[in-house]
Amino acid sequence: MNEERKRILEMLSEGKISTEEAERLLSALSQRSEINQGMVKNEPRYLRVMVEPGVGSKNNDRVNVRIPIKLIRAGLRLASFIPKDAQDKVNEALHEKGIEKDFTKIKPEDIDEILTQINDFTVDVEGKETVKVFCE
Amino acid sequence: MIPLMLKLNIKRKDQEGQEGFDLWLPLFLIWLIALPPILLLTPLLLLAALILWPTGKGRYILFLYLAIFGLIWHMSGIKIDIQSKKKVVYLNLI
Repeated sequence: MNEERKRILEMLSEGKISTEEAERLLSALSQRSEINQGMVKNEPRYLRVMVEPGVGSKNNDRVNVRIPIKLIRAGLRLASFIPKDAQDKVNEALHEKGIEKDFTKIKPEDIDEILTQINDFTVDVEGKETVKVFCE
Repeated sequence: MIPLMLKLNIKRKDQEGQEGFDLWLPLFLIWLIALPPILLLTPLLLLAALILWPTGKGRYILFLYLAIFGLIWHMSGIKIDIQSKKKVVYLNLI
């Protein structure tokens, strides 16, 4: 029994909270614990890119790439060592493509935030080829 | 985890008689060979970083060295499998 659960039961026995309140607190506690367990279980380890021929496709090319998320993290950290001139060229090229993002301003905290949220990242494109980008 | 084995398979399908190659490379042997130079180089790099710290380049050298280590360390698990009409390329770092 964890400390929080014990404390709720103590408060109930001392009469500080009612049985309904204790029930509500205990259920909230178990929900939080389930969410936490789910987050641990679903932490992605790999970024997968799969390209397969679609229906009626004459091209039989297949691509299956698996990249460890930790490698992406390390690579993004290494990106901060790119010389300023090269970073400016990257930003200019992105600006030409209509992407208004200054990659020189990405901090390690931002990288962590991106990689934490990447779990829900899925791209599914179906056409001549089926393209799937997802985390597992 | 540092990659210990590399499996590389390249095949050409368009040319008869050219089978390509299937390679199992024991990377752990390369790491064993690379370890003494890395160990020798580390104090020199740390010294260079310390000397160049006031100029701002010391920080750059130190973090670049660590970042490269991080990159190599996390390469294990990379898998690239490309199959086309003409070629098959398979790379797996274990």
